[in-house]
Amino acid sequence: MIKKVGIAVRYNGFTYLISEGFSNVFKNKKGTMISLITMICAMFMFGAAFAIGQNVNYVMEQVQASQGIEVFILNEATDEQTNTLESEIKKIDGVSTVTYKSKEQALESAKESFKEYPDAIAGYTEEYIFPASFIVMLTDLSKAEGVESTIATLENVKNIRSSNDTMNTLFKISNGIRIAIIVVFAGLLVIAMTIISNTIKLTVHARRKEISIMKYVGATNSFIRGPFLVEGIIIGFVAACITIALITIAYDYVVTGIESSDILQTMNITLLHYSEILRMVSVVYVVLGVGIGMFGSAFSMKKYLEV
Amino acid sequence: MIEFKNVTKVYTTGTEAVHDASFSIDKGEFAFLVGSSGSGKSTLIKLILKEEEANSGNIIINGKDITYLKPKRVPYLRRSMGVVFQDFRLLPDKTVYENVAFAMYIVKSTPKHIRRQVPYVLSQVGLSEKSKMYPNELSGGEQQRVALARALVNNPSMIIADEPTGNLDPDTAWDIMNLLDEINRRGTTVVMATHAKDIVNTMKKRVIQINKGIIVRDDKKGGYSSEV
Repeated sequence: MIKKVGIAVRYNGFTYLISEGFSNVFKNKKGTMISLITMICAMFMFGAAFAIGQNVNYVMEQVQASQGIEVFILNEATDEQTNTLESEIKKIDGVSTVTYKSKEQALESAKESFKEYPDAIAGYTEEYIFPASFIVMLTDLSKAEGVESTIATLENVKNIRSSNDTMNTLFKISNGIRIAIIVVFAGLLVIAMTIISNTIKLTVHARRKEISIMKYVGATNSFIRGPFLVEGIIIGFVAACITIALITIAYDYVVTGIESSDILQTMNITLLHYSEILRMVSVVYVVLGVGIGMFGSAFSMKKYLEV
Repeated sequence: MIEFKNVTKVYTTGTEAVHDASFSIDKGEFAFLVGSSGSGKSTLIKLILKEEEANSGNIIINGKDITYLKPKRVPYLRRSMGVVFQDFRLLPDKTVYENVAFAMYIVKSTPKHIRRQVPYVLSQVGLSEKSKMYPNELSGGEQQRVALARALVNNPSMIIADEPTGNLDPDTAWDIMNLLDEINRRGTTVVMATHAKDIVNTMKKRVIQINKGIIVRDDKKGGYSSEV
């Protein structure tokens, strides 16, 4: 019998909390709208920054992967020596493929790059001025330096052209973007928190009389705070869901637009599918939304509970 | 029941609202706190409710020294007393019934107990018919009776009333006084701060008079002022 009563009390308290929380959401329509819009804006911008960042990283990876090391072979090297060199390069740890580029091919590709100025290389047609080379692709970019230095010690190697400079630039760009995203994120978090806590402060202020009555009747602080926390959590959760929907639509639209552009197609680069972004962002959104809502209301209530 | 021992309260602004106040109100007593505005009687009420902290002295309520009560325990102290204010302080968006039931929700009464107790208390204050109405649909006297019902619903050992008749016309004020008198007769201690001379003079109850923070008179069966 006593146990039954205990359960009834708790159930009663819980339903009170949830129903009051929900009715707060609708009672304070203006505040709810302001909070919702702020949170959606902040989270949307964060989502956009995040999506851009993730895509930059993704594109970087693709660009980096397409960068190989070009090993030029001495003109004097015989076919046999060239074959030995090829097999030696293949043995090096970190090398994935080695492609031979003959003098003729080198000339062809030179012609291709100077297509607009045929005169510039008109005289070189027969002389094979462009050396043969190996295009070495790597399994892992971090091994680039090791591979390079090992190749440099081999015989019949004229010189090596690596894309280190390009890579460094790319790394710098992607790092810069990563930092920018963190800064944007921190800024937005602060803004969102401030506005939400102010909105809830207004709600709490509008209801200070009610709160003081509750305190006089002997309500504990946690009892008073409960419905406001539930209100914050509901708003945060709804904002997160709306933002997820918005960002999905927007992302799909923008990515389809960019991917159909010529540049990316000729470079053979793809962007992340929205489901991949979403998977990462959804959890963050829900946690963020609920967290902001909850802590925003908890902080803003403090002052009004001291009666 | 309520005991003040050399209690002094100085506000942060520097005003000394209560100076070295000592008195004790026993169980079942009916006591008026009288004095002009700014005399310190509101502060006395606030000290009893633990809304303000005393600077020195001790306040003992129901045998417990509440002078250094932790903020966390304050709600439980307040549950032992029913409070009535001049401005009623009802929740405007809740019905009469809900306003009274609310006080029971807060102390985590069972729904069954609430369903039984609320109509009982409303009938005590004569508002059974109006339980579904909202505060703004009621007269001042009726609103104060709702407040009284709310104060009574958890069977407190004492009722603390701060100028409960201050916003009411004389006839309605007497309705409330008769209710308070009846509640007192059933054994509940009543402490009432008031300005209303005729009420104090007619009721012939204990009078504690405070002037500029000092308790100047404590008569067992007094009038509003001793110079009558």
